[in-house]
Amino acid sequence: MKTQLVSLFLTASTLITFAAGTNPAHHSCCAPGKEATAPPATLSDRSLYQLDSAWTNDTGAAIKLASLGGRPQVVAMFFANCTYACPLLVYQMQQIEAALPEALREKVGFTLISFDTERDTPTVLHNYRLGRALANERWTLLRGSPDGVQELAALLNVKFKKDSQGQFLHSNALTLLNAEGEIVSQQLGLNSDHAEIIRRASELAAR
Amino acid sequence: MIQMKRHMKIATFLGISALPGFLLATGVGFAAEPAPSGTESAVLTEAPAVPPPLTRRHATNVVVNLEVKETTKRLADGVEYPFWTFGGDVPGNFIRIREGDTVEFHLHNDPNNKMPHNIDLHAVTGPGGGAESSFTAPGHSSRFSFQALNAGLYVYHCATAPVGLHVANGMYGLILVEPKEGLPPVDHEYYIMQGEFYTLGKFGEEGLQAFDMEKAVDEKPNYVVFNGSVGSLMGEHSLTAKVGEKIRLFVGNGGPNLRSSFHVIGIIFDTVYQEGGTAPTHNVQTTVIPPGGAAIVEFTAKVPGNYTLVDHALFRAFNKGAVGRLTVSGPANTLTYSGKQADTLYAGDGKPAAPASKLQAAVASPVASTPITASLKPAASGQTDIPSASLSAAERAQFERGRGVYMQTCFVCHQANGQGVPGQIPPLAKSDLLMADKAGAIRGVLQGRNGEVTVNGKKYNGIMIPFGQLKDEQVADVITYVRNNWGNSGEGATPQEVNAIRKANPEVAGKLASSPFE
Amino acid sequence: MNGHGLMSLAALLMLNVGLSGQELSAPAPTSGTPADMVLIPSGVYRPLFRAASEPKEVSVQAFYLDKFPVTTGEFLEFVRANPRWRRSQVKPLFADQSYLKNWKADLEPGAPLNAAATDVSWFAAKAYAQWKGKRLLTVAEWEHAAGAGTTRPDGENDAAFRQQVLQWYTTLGAAPGPVGANPANFWGVHDLHGLIWEWVLDFNSAMVTGDSRADSGGLERGLFCGAGAQGAREVANYPAFMRLGFRSSLNANYCIHNLGFRCAKDL
Repeated sequence: MKTQLVSLFLTASTLITFAAGTNPAHHSCCAPGKEATAPPATLSDRSLYQLDSAWTNDTGAAIKLASLGGRPQVVAMFFANCTYACPLLVYQMQQIEAALPEALREKVGFTLISFDTERDTPTVLHNYRLGRALANERWTLLRGSPDGVQELAALLNVKFKKDSQGQFLHSNALTLLNAEGEIVSQQLGLNSDHAEIIRRASELAAR
Repeated sequence: MIQMKRHMKIATFLGISALPGFLLATGVGFAAEPAPSGTESAVLTEAPAVPPPLTRRHATNVVVNLEVKETTKRLADGVEYPFWTFGGDVPGNFIRIREGDTVEFHLHNDPNNKMPHNIDLHAVTGPGGGAESSFTAPGHSSRFSFQALNAGLYVYHCATAPVGLHVANGMYGLILVEPKEGLPPVDHEYYIMQGEFYTLGKFGEEGLQAFDMEKAVDEKPNYVVFNGSVGSLMGEHSLTAKVGEKIRLFVGNGGPNLRSSFHVIGIIFDTVYQEGGTAPTHNVQTTVIPPGGAAIVEFTAKVPGNYTLVDHALFRAFNKGAVGRLTVSGPANTLTYSGKQADTLYAGDGKPAAPASKLQAAVASPVASTPITASLKPAASGQTDIPSASLSAAERAQFERGRGVYMQTCFVCHQANGQGVPGQIPPLAKSDLLMADKAGAIRGVLQGRNGEVTVNGKKYNGIMIPFGQLKDEQVADVITYVRNNWGNSGEGATPQEVNAIRKANPEVAGKLASSPFE
Repeated sequence: MNGHGLMSLAALLMLNVGLSGQELSAPAPTSGTPADMVLIPSGVYRPLFRAASEPKEVSVQAFYLDKFPVTTGEFLEFVRANPRWRRSQVKPLFADQSYLKNWKADLEPGAPLNAAATDVSWFAAKAYAQWKGKRLLTVAEWEHAAGAGTTRPDGENDAAFRQQVLQWYTTLGAAPGPVGANPANFWGVHDLHGLIWEWVLDFNSAMVTGDSRADSGGLERGLFCGAGAQGAREVANYPAFMRLGFRSSLNANYCIHNLGFRCAKDL
């Protein structure tokens, strides 16, 4: 009886900790009553990597946004179960990838961030990667907390809303960040003219 | 802040442009116009002023800086309204550019404003007319560019949700895209824009008014005005011109709901560019301007006098404020317009008038006091007065003041000696009805009179128009005057009496602070 | 683990799900209503913008709501305790140049302490809420709480209340005054209307472009990914429209003179 209670208690505390980890109120920026830990001092004022939120990639590893730095990133927010525009958005990113000169292609990252904090687990994201043959060296797929998603969407100027079916309505946007994580350009809407993003991504990659 | 540019696909056809038809269409094809060169800042003006005609004969890059300001201003005498404006005024600033120009448009939203705003210019070819690209929170600015592909006179307005409210609060103006060769020169250009206002209070109800959504949805405005307020083009703000001058009016209609039937009383438009486009019509009396539309009208002033601009949907003109004035000064032109030349008796049944001598005697008094002649020479004051001997000092003072009121209004019908016009207008001199029923007389002045009356045994069946806009003191004074003049002798009236009767008659309880057309 | 343990585990799982604020059939209040907050009972919110296939009403769980907007004095305490949110130290990404622009210095407000705290960005508002152990509220929660009139919970059926609200949006005011000057609404909350605009957590959830004519016709498929034709459903509710419009004009780092916030807390 006692061992059962202990194991129950241990399991319970693990579960509570896990639940607390996905609690939208938890944010490393400003924990109750405490001063926030400041992001790395070397980041520029306009860098999105100042966000200190916690993310997980499709292998389950813990990731900070700052790890995306060091090379330009083409970023989009999506969700794996989307049957409307997201597949097109990803396809557009793949077109941009293909259009980059081969020498520069290595130097540009492509990052997909999911709105769906509940259903897009690392496994789901990993299957998504495999299903679309997204190259490991370049493509990053991330999932995070609702609060982290809300903050990043706000900085990327992406509007989104969850509907009654668990689908996400959202604006279609491709954003190009430079190596420091600053927004360089943004393409709104699903049109086929990627010339601007390709040109600027190439410029940044060539530095 | 990220520049959020929509990728606008503008089809620019170099070398081919719609033939501007402000002059006669000659069918001449134009060679490709060189790209815009140079930069200039647009000159913006407040109505009724218009920026000067453009003298350059090439396209340029024009920078427009337009600020949105939410500000409380006068809507009518004693009436204030919280307007939302482009440039601080209703209508918004007039923008003048040239066909082929590239415009760099900056929309600034004053940091003290409450609402976000944007702009849709009908001169823009592109989604939303610029609305998507200019959606701006208070304390911020947006910028976008467009090419002025078509010549014409275009409306611009705010398109933020709810659009009807933003427009109903005054967010509209005009942008003129001059054709390549410019507009023919004229002596005066004026900017007029009609719009409606929907207020919780009635027309003329004093104080700070608020927007009435139900009336707006029902399309029942309280105010229909030119240039954002009652009387904006009246009195000292009248438009002016001299005999012989050519005048061009840029007339827009901000709506939000009503169509304007634009007419200038006594003027025929020699040329109308209907809907602000490029195909002229000639010899037009009244031109329809839809909400969100505009028209250019041109005419020459030929006869001196006052010309009233109206929306010819008449109750809007006289009860809601859709009137303006153009005053033309200069030498008389009696050939084109003589003024009244004769006023004779008419006995009915086509019978000839009485012989000359009898006729002259009969008409001597009326002719001296008809409206036309009266406007040329003020009626001689006091010559026909026979004040009652029993007036107290206070009543005497009222008598004197009452004469002033009488000579401004009543004498036109009742005549300077209170005689009236036989068979048409009852006399006041020695009138049994006037002396027997003072309250009735006061009511008659305030709300008019309709239907048959019997005075001194004779029946009269005319209409007396209301003068509810006179103040209580004025009514009391004129009643005192007529009841103690020309052989009448009786009690005068007090302002309190008048006020009580006014309040007891709801149709005139909402006193008009000023007549809409004064 | 035997069957008994499994059942307890299941019970614990359900309890954890409740603690993280997810779906729960009946809220279990903790130790009573926190100070200066009121309990907003569960109810419904009628979204202004939705697809025809979406339900007309969205249910809103009960929650605690601040009685008043956050005041300048309260915000002063926050920046005192959190130097990175002082005006001289805040990063432009998280608050633009208008941040606390009327303050005389980092720790010297320009307005009285009981005035609503304005010129604060969404990031600042969120940080404050978390510092207090609270959170920002969602659009649905805000609209549900604000739907109450002064004498009845359904403000939309109170014509005088509706007119009063519309009047605030269409008249111009001076700088926002002290909180609590106007009577509370039916739930006991002050100043949801008539004082300031307020930040909400999902301010960027309106799929609008800013051109209201395009937005009212339906979702622009090229610009937005989503099911069905989104359209404006409650076209007569002008104040709600204006709130939607105002929120859509915002970026998260904007600081505006008449935009403040208040906090909520889960039961």
